[in-house]
Amino acid sequence: MNPSEKYACEHCAKTEDFFLTRRQFLHRFGMGFGALSLATVLGGDSLVSGASVMESTHPLRPHAPHFPAKAKAVIHVFAQGAPSHVDTWDPKPELTRMDGQTIPGGIAMGSPFKFQKMGKSGIEVSEVFPELGQHVDDLAVIRSMWTDIPAHDVATVMMNTGSTRLARPSLGSWTVYGLGSENQNLPGFISLRSGGGLPVGGTANWQAAFLPGAFQGTSINTQAGTVAGMIQNIRNQYSSPKEQRRQLDLVQQLNAMHAQNLQKDAALEARLEAYEIAFRMQTEATDAFDLSKEPQSVRDLYGNTPQGKQMLLARRLVERGVRFVQVWAGGWDHHQDLEVRLPEKAKEIDKPLAALLTDLKQRGLLDSTVVIWGGEFGRKPTKDRNGNDNPGRDHNNNAFSTLMAGGGVKGGITYGATDDFGSKAVEDKVHVHDLHATVLRLLGFDHTKLTYRYNGRDFRLTDVSGEVVKGIIA
Amino acid sequence: METTDMAAPLEKREGTNIEQPTLNAEGRLRRWLGVGRWALNVGCFLAVTSVFAGSAIAAEPTTTLTKAQSDFFEQKVRPILETKCYKCHSHSAEKIKGGLVLDSREGGLRGGNTAPAVVPGNVAESLLIKAISYTDPDLEMPPKGEKLSAGQIADLTQWIKMGAPDPRESTAKKYGGAGRAHWAFQKPKLSEIPAVKDELWGQTPIDRFVLAKLEENGMAPNPRADKRTLLRRAYFDVIGLPPTPEQVDAFVKDESPDAFAKVVDELLASPRYGERWGRHWLDVARYADTKGEVRRQQEDPRYPFAWTYRDYVIDAFNKDKPFDRFIIEQIAADRLNLGTDKSALAALGFLTLGNHFNGMVPDIVADRIDLVTKGFLGLTVTCARCHDHKFDPISQKDYYALYGIFSSSYEPDKLPALKPIANTAEYQDYLKKAAEFEVDPKEMRRKLQALRKDPDPTKRRELQREQQRQLRGATDLEINHPGAPARANVLVDSAKPKDSPLFIRGEAKNLGAVVPRSFINVLAGPNDPPYRNGSGRLELARDIASKNNPITARVIVNRVWQEHFGEGFVPTPDDLGNQSEKPSHPELLDYLAVKFMQKGWSLKKLHREIMLSAVYQQSSAVNGKFAVIDPQNRLLWRANLRRLDFEALRDSILAIAGTLDATMGGKPVDLGAEPYVTRRAVYGYVDRRNLSEVMTQFDFANPDSPTGRRHVTIVPQQTLFMMNSPLVAEQARKLVNKDEFVGLTGEEDRVNALFRQIFQRPASRLEMELALQFVAVTPEKDSAPELAGGRRMPPVQRSRLEARMKDSGTPPQLQQRIKQQLQDEQTRHRAPLGAWEKLAQALFETNEASFIN
Repeated sequence: MNPSEKYACEHCAKTEDFFLTRRQFLHRFGMGFGALSLATVLGGDSLVSGASVMESTHPLRPHAPHFPAKAKAVIHVFAQGAPSHVDTWDPKPELTRMDGQTIPGGIAMGSPFKFQKMGKSGIEVSEVFPELGQHVDDLAVIRSMWTDIPAHDVATVMMNTGSTRLARPSLGSWTVYGLGSENQNLPGFISLRSGGGLPVGGTANWQAAFLPGAFQGTSINTQAGTVAGMIQNIRNQYSSPKEQRRQLDLVQQLNAMHAQNLQKDAALEARLEAYEIAFRMQTEATDAFDLSKEPQSVRDLYGNTPQGKQMLLARRLVERGVRFVQVWAGGWDHHQDLEVRLPEKAKEIDKPLAALLTDLKQRGLLDSTVVIWGGEFGRKPTKDRNGNDNPGRDHNNNAFSTLMAGGGVKGGITYGATDDFGSKAVEDKVHVHDLHATVLRLLGFDHTKLTYRYNGRDFRLTDVSGEVVKGIIA
Repeated sequence: METTDMAAPLEKREGTNIEQPTLNAEGRLRRWLGVGRWALNVGCFLAVTSVFAGSAIAAEPTTTLTKAQSDFFEQKVRPILETKCYKCHSHSAEKIKGGLVLDSREGGLRGGNTAPAVVPGNVAESLLIKAISYTDPDLEMPPKGEKLSAGQIADLTQWIKMGAPDPRESTAKKYGGAGRAHWAFQKPKLSEIPAVKDELWGQTPIDRFVLAKLEENGMAPNPRADKRTLLRRAYFDVIGLPPTPEQVDAFVKDESPDAFAKVVDELLASPRYGERWGRHWLDVARYADTKGEVRRQQEDPRYPFAWTYRDYVIDAFNKDKPFDRFIIEQIAADRLNLGTDKSALAALGFLTLGNHFNGMVPDIVADRIDLVTKGFLGLTVTCARCHDHKFDPISQKDYYALYGIFSSSYEPDKLPALKPIANTAEYQDYLKKAAEFEVDPKEMRRKLQALRKDPDPTKRRELQREQQRQLRGATDLEINHPGAPARANVLVDSAKPKDSPLFIRGEAKNLGAVVPRSFINVLAGPNDPPYRNGSGRLELARDIASKNNPITARVIVNRVWQEHFGEGFVPTPDDLGNQSEKPSHPELLDYLAVKFMQKGWSLKKLHREIMLSAVYQQSSAVNGKFAVIDPQNRLLWRANLRRLDFEALRDSILAIAGTLDATMGGKPVDLGAEPYVTRRAVYGYVDRRNLSEVMTQFDFANPDSPTGRRHVTIVPQQTLFMMNSPLVAEQARKLVNKDEFVGLTGEEDRVNALFRQIFQRPASRLEMELALQFVAVTPEKDSAPELAGGRRMPPVQRSRLEARMKDSGTPPQLQQRIKQQLQDEQTRHRAPLGAWEKLAQALFETNEASFIN
């Protein structure tokens, strides 16, 4: 049996999995808890040692992918709001030449920013990214991205799940489903945001949908800065850890009996898992989320800003074996005043993202970590509504740029091209499905074979499309 | 523009025969793509027949084909359609793209959302050929480089030339159609109640509709749930709280046939019902106590009186205000003759309590249109802000017809009091203090404008700071002063209501023709005149709340069904348009919608009808075979297992501990800070920009957009809340220290008392053993050693920090830090939990306490 076949079978989840027999059930839940033997009371099956069974049935245990792969983790920095590609990574001299004149779609708006060749590769980088530009030789700049619908909520969820309308598992959920996690004491998929509210699309952006709940992203508000502020109730104030473990054992025993009465259900199992992770997080997260444990020099490298902290956190999590870190770094919806607001926005991420690449590289983690930066779509080359005095750009789903680095990505290249004005991707077009197929390929998966059976059908992240962008793979 | 296609009477449309439209190709392409259909284009009038011809085509007799014609179709055409087109363009497609189906003759003739794909005999006019030949980059099919071969293109072209002979039988279905033919735009019909094989199982019409469908699929429903399970389900559904052990006992003992009906009636009569169901509506109303983005020198970011709307909603549910009246009041209470009792004015908070978008009128109006159309009509009309809707027959013109209504309405600077103001000393004191902050917003804007060009920016900044201080002071006073009268967040009509021009591509500076204020065309009557009564809000409200409107009743019935079953007939309650899944039980949805209107739009009657059905009362037991056929339980062969939402979980813990404060209404309370307020969660403060982390983690509704259905996630932070939050731990302590518990001497009695309180049932033998053993080995003294101890903060320091934290002038980050500091201090001095308290806490943590089945 070749590895991919073996793997495919392993991932043929069947409906029966959700309605276990009693024996399977006991194997899965009735062990390792407390002093009373559940098995005796429930029917006397003899059981192997609890810990080892728990280990082997744990949904987050590490799996091998279809092929050997360099990439083991992903950091997806989501520039929500849709950054203007012609002002950042896709210079358009023809647009500048036509500035103020009528072109298809309206009045041309040349980029107010200068581009300059950087690195050995000589890729042109906008002046708004001076620090990130230093890393251009590590970057693959995809200039020919496109997506289906130019509305933020829909396209944001599309970028994260590959679906505009239906509840589908997110890229991070598929990744953790496929690879498990290297760290059983933290969620395998963590989503970092800075602020109280959720980004547009809400929890749909890190949803597991029909995949088991353990693969869902865990959203953390990094604004507070302290561990207890970021993860509320992380501190147990009433018990010693030992006593709390004993109490949790009782809870899980009661949960196991309850689940058996209800012939088991994915939601119940997910909550059972959530308790176990929560318990372990009390120690592990206290360490992982404590930025004060970093030397001052490292904190300075990232900068003491919300996004600097987020990037540093992302590195700490990946370093600890978290499989997929989603970082929300939005606010790019520049309908007006682009000349002032876009550089401000770029400045927020420029140094932190550059620092992340430097730091990952120094630690030897860049080779095994795919870093992605990009938005949900791009912007038009023309002046936007309402902003004729200090203009911005409107939404454009036909063209945008996405950066990738590390994890087996070829550095120092551009891929694909838009037309003369940047209004449309025309050469080597990369759809969102193609990007997803490529990320999965970097992680060692054939995107057509990483499937999950649900409702009588094998589902996959890329639905029925997706071509691996071989040109950016080293 | 008044004489476009929409003006033709419906009856006439249905009888129309198919005609070959003579549109230019561009017009048709636009229609294929669903754009520009009712916009300012020429030629729309001619499109009438193609738009509405669906039913006419189906009725048309199929001409007999020659063998050569049939063979050509079967050998050349059908294979291409099946392999290259059906994936997205057939009734078997997972999602029909662009409203185009090619698996029937009429599908091709009708075309994508509206325009014909196939024009027999006319290659140039057949969009199908245009699409497959890749002559237009905007219309290339099949997409993404799957272009057909030259031979295939030639075959299809030949087929059109031959007159598109098509031997296929009609596949027209009763439900599921594109564009205007979509089921939700047709009036709901009362179908005959279907016959069933098992006549004993359920007796209500609901039961028959559901059972017929199950039998059709070779399935059968579950028997009735046990009484405890059923009672728990009913309590959480209707009032969001668990029954007490006494209530369970009484119900179990009551063997009369109407025992459950009595419970349902009692629950519906409880004021707790409005608190539960009012909150569901507040989700839809994207309710919050703050304004989101504001220009701080022009307004304070808080709504001092948002709560008057929340109380109005709770009261409306409790009084079973007819839903049509509820709609009208929320859209246009200011235009109604309310008599002396003006309290219904508070209903307008529905429209006004949204985000303020830095005062950008087009965005504020868009938010209101979004709310009204998603909330009542289940339609995503704001998609048509910049272009015609891609999937539904909603034109940009429709959007700007509504835009004129809402841009002709405004929030007055001084809001009206809910009740006549009594001239008390408190009120006088309030007036006196308020005078200090008297600010005229117009004057403020004028002053600021005057300084805008001043070369010295400090003057302007000073003025801004002063203005902010005044605004904050005035709002503080309205929120905190006991003499400040409660006010309604009203909207009123402008003195000179105006129609809005269409914004081409949504651009405010790129104006098209003026669109008369009116209802959405697809839902309007054939000869409805434009709205001319003030802004038109009252007319709009009446059109929405009308029995002639095909969709309103279905939308609310679907919402109610969802809250009882976990999922509605249509799983997307805010979108019943062409992009939504077909209803699981279309005939039942229609039946309930029609009856709902007939019975006076009474929600309580609807709840009662649903809850008294056998479908509602069945058990959640799993049948392995059915779980394979219908894993999502769309056909309702079992009751669903459902996780409690944030409010029900929190409130139930407080109720069980005996600490729930039943006070209703009034100003919002902070749920997050210790010592914890024990009011129901529906009275909690909702800060649109800074939703509390606990609410976020428990999937609270997003206050920035109508939320007809919350996400249901399960994440470690939820379990951390159960394990570690002082709220849960302290309720466990309270529960065990209740007199009736302390009075129990037997250990088994104590365990059973806790089980009965939390699970509404006694412990099983095994559970009893586990619990007793847990208590026996738990040490009486145990605390988290690394956190305990340390110096206590002096009370003076504590109160100073608390004041600083609550001061709205303190920056949010500093507030956060102080809060943390105070919490940390408290944490170090928590009293440890005893063995029984830990047992109670453990029971709160279980899945059983967090789910209903």
